[in-house]
Amino acid sequence: MKISFPYMGTVLVYKKLLQLLGHEVIIPPRPTKRTIDLGVKYSPEFACFPFKVIMGTYIEACEMGVDTIVSSGGFGPCRAGFYGEIHRRILKSLGYDIDLIILDQPLQDKNFLKKVKFLKGNNSWLDVIKAVKFTYRLIQEIDRFEKEIYRLMPYETEPGQAKKAWNSIQAEFDQAIDQAGLERAKERSLDILKSIKVHEIPEKDKIRIGIVGEIYVVMEPSINMDMEELLCKLGCEVERSQYLSEWVDHNLLPNIFKKSRDAMFIEKGKPYIGRAIGGHAQQSVGAIVDFKDRNFDGIIHLMPFACLPELISQSIIPRISKEHNIPVLTLAIDEQTGQTNALTRIEAFIDLVRNKKASVNIA
Amino acid sequence: MSKVFLGIDVGSVSTNVIALDHNYELLFNYYARTSGQPIESIKTGLEKFHSQYPDLIVAGVGTTGSGRQLAGVMVGADVVKNEITAHAVATTHFHPEVRTIFEIGGQDSKIILLKDGIVVDFAMNTVCAAGTGSFLDHQAERMKIPIEKFGEMALKSKNEVRIAGRCTVFAESDMIAKQQYGFTKEDIINGLCQALVRNYINNVGRGKKLEPPFAFQGGVAANVGIRAAFEKEIKHKVIIPKYFGVMGAIGAAILAREKIEKSQEKTTFRGFGALQTEFVPKSFTCNGCSNSCEVIRVTAGGKTIAVWGDRCGTWKEKMKQSLSEAI
Repeated sequence: MKISFPYMGTVLVYKKLLQLLGHEVIIPPRPTKRTIDLGVKYSPEFACFPFKVIMGTYIEACEMGVDTIVSSGGFGPCRAGFYGEIHRRILKSLGYDIDLIILDQPLQDKNFLKKVKFLKGNNSWLDVIKAVKFTYRLIQEIDRFEKEIYRLMPYETEPGQAKKAWNSIQAEFDQAIDQAGLERAKERSLDILKSIKVHEIPEKDKIRIGIVGEIYVVMEPSINMDMEELLCKLGCEVERSQYLSEWVDHNLLPNIFKKSRDAMFIEKGKPYIGRAIGGHAQQSVGAIVDFKDRNFDGIIHLMPFACLPELISQSIIPRISKEHNIPVLTLAIDEQTGQTNALTRIEAFIDLVRNKKASVNIA
Repeated sequence: MSKVFLGIDVGSVSTNVIALDHNYELLFNYYARTSGQPIESIKTGLEKFHSQYPDLIVAGVGTTGSGRQLAGVMVGADVVKNEITAHAVATTHFHPEVRTIFEIGGQDSKIILLKDGIVVDFAMNTVCAAGTGSFLDHQAERMKIPIEKFGEMALKSKNEVRIAGRCTVFAESDMIAKQQYGFTKEDIINGLCQALVRNYINNVGRGKKLEPPFAFQGGVAANVGIRAAFEKEIKHKVIIPKYFGVMGAIGAAILAREKIEKSQEKTTFRGFGALQTEFVPKSFTCNGCSNSCEVIRVTAGGKTIAVWGDRCGTWKEKMKQSLSEAI
């Protein structure tokens, strides 16, 4: 069995989990123009952009000989609920008769156990629990380092340093296969982090930008113009509303012991969107409020072109922006690769945020 | 000898080169269609300035517009700034009281909201060119009316004609239908001006609270028909800045001046002599991965001076290395 998954964010963790369970894993290629072309060609025209990119990724994975794909998502009132099934049918019509396993919230999916059993293979339940526990710790560590990287990158003395450090950190964690390895990777990564030389910037001049929106366009840099890096280059610290470990917290783990960050976002977004409308609209609006509470200076809201839940959040955002006094820029992400227009708006937005902060500082 | 600051705005349709004297007065103004040849138009503009004012010293240069990067590299700009900020800077300099700027250019249109002289919000058209200069240009051509006369004709209209302004294609078929009903050209042109403004306010200004005083600038502000349509739509007087057509370039020049005066450094302007060097932007498709980025490489006198367009940064890195080796 050759197994693969959609490409989103730090893919080494998905690989790790599947490998620990003894599967032969094929990492799909990072989405490129070809991926998008393939996806657009074989997807329904009205499907949202993430659907198309993931379609392209699946086709490329199938070309590499994959016979099983594990993915997430499947419930909820927006179109994302149909993703898995339609992907499977399109792949079948293209002659790729593969297994597509969609994992989602265990409590809502009556087939969840069956799917897990399939992935479990010949491992004992104890081994599965060990593997899951290990991977969970791995994601948490990696996410922690990723956040740190994008906090340092805007101030690096030598452009490219932080990016290189991030790649080495990922390579360190890629080598870890057990608890001891994880600790080692953590230690080395801390050293790598310390080796990034940064300019000292007074606290009041630091600009912090939060990225919110639909999970795929927020998490996958190859399709969102490398938004985090781009903002860092413009001198801003960046944090996203979504990280993989938090997605797991919210969707796969029972929330008995602590409240997940997502649950907190939904709580904070309640006055604006009171119920689940699909996608991450509730989280998006709540995350804006949360970023403001944490003294962030501006928000970039990313949405796939024509994404229904985010269209709703987009229309509510002007009110949130006004009530919480925080500038928000919404950008729709689509297959268009010409970035001049978006770049102009991002630059102007950062000027706006900077000037706003400067005028507050003076006052 | 007195000092001047140059501003260069390379837009999709036109290129402006301007010079501001120390009193922020417009000394020189050059406007040309970019016609897909930004380098040629910048060169001609700068040469014209130099032959007209050979004694003036250039103390700083700023570039803006969608071609700002290329222009910046070519002339050695002190400031390379996006056109939204540039427009806002220019307008607040001449009309500090303005709260809302309408800017309509060749292929894009913006609304900029200001408070106490700083930008608090803005919007820009994204994929659709309905409601921009190109749309008017196209319709003027179709009706065989010189674009310069378009506005005046609109003012002569006697009847209200409603034309769908949502989309250029629909507007066109609507116009043809109205022509065949027997409406005069003047009425149709007026209807078109109103449709453009309606579409602009609804589309670009969606969900924004537009507060007076208003300023209207950009190439399209030359059109008196559109000016009138604006005042009718928002029911308020609209200020047309004196140099409405070149506000972006003026903003770039002001920003260059601010930067030079603050840093007390010398300008990075390459000088007029450097214009003789041959600037060649070449694009090639990188085959390093399946992204197939279209990479642009600018050479001056055979030497690579700038590279952009590569998503992964490989080419930028290569250029940096070759530059440091040369040093």
